[in-house]
Amino acid sequence: MKAKLVHDQVSRGTANPAHENHDVISHAPFRSPKNHSNGSVILSAHQIYKAYQAGSQQVPVLTGVSLQVRQGQFTTIVGQSGSGKSTLLHLLGTLDRPDKGEIVMNKQRIDNLPARQRDRIRNQDIGLIFQFYHLLPELNVLENTLVPYMIHYGVWNYLLQRRRLHDRAKELLEQVGLSHRLTHRPNQLSGGERQRTAIARALITQPKLLLADEPTGNLDARSGNEVLELLRQLSEHQALTVIMVTHDERIAQQSDQIIRLRDGKVVASTAEAA
Amino acid sequence: MFKLLLTWRYLKTRFIALASIISVTLGVATLIVVNSVMSGFSNEMTSKLHGILSDVELVASGMGEIDRVDEKVEQIKSLLQDDLEAVTTVVRVPAMLNFLVHGQPRYHQIMLIGIDDQTFGDVTDFRPYLTNHFHRNGDVFRLMELGYDKELPDAGWPYRREKFRHDAYIRQELESMLQDRAKGLPPIAQNQLPVPHSPSATTDSNQEPLVNIAKLPPLPTQKPVLPTLSSDVPAGAGSEYLSDCGPSLNPSESNTWNPAPVDALAAYRERVLVAPFDPITEQRVGIIIGIGIGRLRAHDPTTGTSQNMYFIRPGDDIELTIPSAGNQPRPLLENCTVVDFYSSKMHDYDSAFAFMPLSHLQKMRGMIDPATGGATVSAIQIKLKPEANLNSARDRLRAAFPMMQYPLMVQTWRDQQAPLLSAVEMEITILNILLFMIIAVAGFGILATFFMIVVEKTKDIGILKSLGAPSSGVMSIFLGYGLSLGIVGAGAGTLIGVMFVVYINEIAALISMISGREVFDPSIYFFSSIPTLLDPMMVVAVAGGAMLIAILSSVLPALRAARLAPVEALRYE
Repeated sequence: MKAKLVHDQVSRGTANPAHENHDVISHAPFRSPKNHSNGSVILSAHQIYKAYQAGSQQVPVLTGVSLQVRQGQFTTIVGQSGSGKSTLLHLLGTLDRPDKGEIVMNKQRIDNLPARQRDRIRNQDIGLIFQFYHLLPELNVLENTLVPYMIHYGVWNYLLQRRRLHDRAKELLEQVGLSHRLTHRPNQLSGGERQRTAIARALITQPKLLLADEPTGNLDARSGNEVLELLRQLSEHQALTVIMVTHDERIAQQSDQIIRLRDGKVVASTAEAA
Repeated sequence: MFKLLLTWRYLKTRFIALASIISVTLGVATLIVVNSVMSGFSNEMTSKLHGILSDVELVASGMGEIDRVDEKVEQIKSLLQDDLEAVTTVVRVPAMLNFLVHGQPRYHQIMLIGIDDQTFGDVTDFRPYLTNHFHRNGDVFRLMELGYDKELPDAGWPYRREKFRHDAYIRQELESMLQDRAKGLPPIAQNQLPVPHSPSATTDSNQEPLVNIAKLPPLPTQKPVLPTLSSDVPAGAGSEYLSDCGPSLNPSESNTWNPAPVDALAAYRERVLVAPFDPITEQRVGIIIGIGIGRLRAHDPTTGTSQNMYFIRPGDDIELTIPSAGNQPRPLLENCTVVDFYSSKMHDYDSAFAFMPLSHLQKMRGMIDPATGGATVSAIQIKLKPEANLNSARDRLRAAFPMMQYPLMVQTWRDQQAPLLSAVEMEITILNILLFMIIAVAGFGILATFFMIVVEKTKDIGILKSLGAPSSGVMSIFLGYGLSLGIVGAGAGTLIGVMFVVYINEIAALISMISGREVFDPSIYFFSSIPTLLDPMMVVAVAGGAMLIAILSSVLPALRAARLAPVEALRYE
């Protein structure tokens, strides 16, 4: 019962006063790096170029980035701010299209698909978490979690499956420790709770890939640790492939693969080196 | 699904949406109310115009006359057959009417219409507009004892008797005074002189009579005072002698044109020789005048109420000046007794029309051919069956009476009133355009509101897109939003507008009560209550138009929302 396990650990995490310590991460190792080189490649990027238009000038952000992520791997992308790590994540998450290069997911090229199919991939196969949570303020926690389903199903199909989908959402929210917050609006939640809602939302369609853009960047250390632990549990027990952008070196050290970006180029990729 | 939920949530949480709804509601309600009242007014007006005019009219061109009338009427009857309901002939002649008010003459330029009282009422709505309800079915040119408007309870014979008795008494007094003076008796002081009776001196009919009739000396007449003229003046025959008894009519002239039957002539001679015209028991030829001629409506702006002042009432005698027929018209003078008022509440008609018996007018003006005895008329009026086609009847008549051959024109009532009808139509059209601009303003309000909401919701749009919502879905949120605003606004507006129209008179009464001023004074307008005409097609068109405008004005913001790149939208803080 993986779900149960995650839930127990999260609950324990919130209840344990030891976690009040602000330096939690150093005491509780986030994750022991392990070799996933035998897993199949779920996502790969080849020579990606991306530039933004700033006035009349072209500002290159990514200049030939290549990477490979294997099934079940926990990958971190680190780099200085402005190194293009968020842009890279957006490209991988089909939120944007590269100027040049290819992104392949499950042996299918996804960067040049029509918008409709990319919408579908984003809805079904990729979960996204952001630094600023990005919940919809008009909807409560349960509804926010259900938004991907609402997008996926038409009105009629959704209403037919309403009970099943709601049960799934409630189960997931229980896993992330928010079963007591179902009808709260985002503005009534703490940062950590909001991020956990966002995680539940990202996972509701059971994607293979979870992309996180500095999920702890806006949280205090304790909430951040809870979120990281949750992600670790998910990655470990549900074989979820996680790609996380961070600038916290300690988090990066505990991941399976670290991709270091500087000035739009990969300067080091630990997993491939190992 | 997310579209519905979000549309609903946005509607619920945005106060500004309410403002848009209210503006649409007001626009729709105003449009419905104004349209209904306008078309109600124009409908009432046209039906009134139609009622006063005949369906189709054969009218002599210029001031000419139509001769061989019976022949033409027969021709019309055989031509129209089953389409024909009734036909009548009229003489229309401009005339001048005068009477004394406070001893001063008052002149009115009028259109005198000679009507056949047997058939005229079948062709036009004439009788319902007479104020005496006995005249609504019966001899309309006879002065009545009773039945006049409640504003004039003593009009008719009671008034006439009192007035002329009073006049006779004054005359008697003056005569006896002159006799006394001739005998050398001291003159009577000026203020002891009896005041001449003037009908306009009393606006209040309940006022005490100026002269106590009981105290009057016995009248110098041998005839008994009869309540009506029925025994004195046989209907139809009365006009012959009455016109001759008029003090201003030249008897020699009347002899030349009066081809009255021998027995009537004999009766006239007998009457003239045996007894002079007695105004207390006899009436002159009856005339029905538009109520606007005999009445002044005084409106008091400070109290907002109006009061009627009567210059003349049924029972008074007036003097008419009419041009005689022929190429060199001479003025003819005629004294008539006002027997009733004509009150169609169409001011143009009420202040210009006067009706008198056709045969009398024809005789007076010399419109009867002494050789054949056939009289000419100025128009033949035709009423068609309700189901008959107006224009086809007109065209058939035009074919039968071509203008090249006959000096007459065939016109429908619509042709006659074309300038007025088209003016009203144009008024409604322009008003509708203006009012639709109000809804367009509401539409621009929605546009501005939606742009604001899209800008405000940029981040949410990015979120939805990052969760895989297609552009079309994002767009339909805002289109649905616009549609909901349109439906709610137009629905509420339709409801309010229709309720307002249905209860408009109650609302007007309520406003009058609160403000103390009359909003709708029925005596000023043609109608006793505010007329409305609720056209379902108009309501549907207005509501549909408003919804369309709401949707159209949400298209641009929706397109903008759909085109937002998710990354841009997410970066937006």
